[in-house]
Amino acid sequence: MTVYLDNAATTLIKPRSVIRASSGAMSALGSPGRGGHKYAMAAAETAFSCREAAAKLFNVDDVEKVVFTFNATHGLNIVIKTLAKPGDRVIVSGYEHNAVMRPLYEIGADVAVVRSRLFDAEEITENLKKELESGAKLVVWNHVSNVFGFVQPIDEIAAICRDASVPLIIDASQSAGTVKLDFKALGADFIAMPGHKGLYGPQGSGLLLCGRMIKPLISGGTGSNSAEYAMPDFLPDAAEAGTHNMPGIAGLLEGIKFVSRHGPENILFHEKRLIRELAAGLKRIKGVTVYDIVDNERMSGVLSFTIDGMESERAGQELARRGIAVRAGLHCAPEAHKTAGTFPVGTVRASVSVFNTRQEVMYTVKAVEEICRSR
Amino acid sequence: MINYLMICRSLTYAQKAAKVLERAGMTVSVTRTPPGISEKGCGYCIKVPERRLSQALEMLKSADLAPTKIYVLFSDGNYSEVGL
Repeated sequence: MTVYLDNAATTLIKPRSVIRASSGAMSALGSPGRGGHKYAMAAAETAFSCREAAAKLFNVDDVEKVVFTFNATHGLNIVIKTLAKPGDRVIVSGYEHNAVMRPLYEIGADVAVVRSRLFDAEEITENLKKELESGAKLVVWNHVSNVFGFVQPIDEIAAICRDASVPLIIDASQSAGTVKLDFKALGADFIAMPGHKGLYGPQGSGLLLCGRMIKPLISGGTGSNSAEYAMPDFLPDAAEAGTHNMPGIAGLLEGIKFVSRHGPENILFHEKRLIRELAAGLKRIKGVTVYDIVDNERMSGVLSFTIDGMESERAGQELARRGIAVRAGLHCAPEAHKTAGTFPVGTVRASVSVFNTRQEVMYTVKAVEEICRSR
Repeated sequence: MINYLMICRSLTYAQKAAKVLERAGMTVSVTRTPPGISEKGCGYCIKVPERRLSQALEMLKSADLAPTKIYVLFSDGNYSEVGL
């Protein structure tokens, strides 16, 4: 049996419609905005439909605010480098990924991490308020932890930022497609997300929802204002220099349709049920520490655990030998591990998708049991 | 048949505007802006039939999607700018 439980890295199992659309695009779609012939116009139609579908799913009032990126990291780099300058005080959560921390470090921002007890949403909001008392130019906040699946109180965080008049960037890498994300209601300045995780699009696809203008990260051809050397000062063109990833966008469109058809809340319900079963099974095994979230509202399709006396990487290898794909280590999110006290050893992370089954979860529990017995 | 070309700042803008008109039952198309018209280089426009022009303009104005310029496209392929 093979079991794929690394969906927080990328959802490997895609809907058939996504694969068909993506491979079909290779021979049918030209470059949008680069011509008036049928291949360019077909690509333009697909790109626009994808923007429309994303705008509808995330309640964005204008399709021009939906920007295509190559992944969440790309989007986060665009907007962090738009809003943060060297020396700026930037507040982040204690669950951030390096897609946030590294751009801030590169810029030379003065980063303040909001610490709190593990999975304590109330303390998080209280501590953010305290941090804001010292002032900040920007808040960058992780919606769902890629390590623990912890759903942060993003509505409250957004409200606090609005009250303090501090711009907010949301990293929706692990939430887009499962956890409710209402761009208009949140009033965030930007939300960045991958297309290849919970939206079931191909790798190399991503979305950036823009509440304001960006500063281009890269410059080049946009198919608009071509006589001028300055980048267009309007969205989405300002953020989309160079040829679009049309196989990615075509697949992403089908992925968004798939998610919309099934309903993010139903997908999340399925994932949470599996994670609860996985957590319950693993907790019964002696020597296994499970970082499960008790509050149903705060959990999602990700679970971290450790095995006493065994390095996470080795546990991951042992599971891989049994056909189970998980991710071990720090998951590019050292801040989350510092919050949990699992830094620098890390954890083993299992993450599910709509395509995982109860049988796969039970198989995984048995495999961990076996690994623990043979230590 | 005479058509009008509504010049838009970008492809996405033109598509967005065309969608507004299509939803109202108009048959319009997004096309490449002819080279002699496009002052800033590559661009896209919406082709609207003559009889729909005023209605289309009204609708785009209320949707805050006004075109940057309008040209009349004659059946022989010539065109000239129309004051907004």
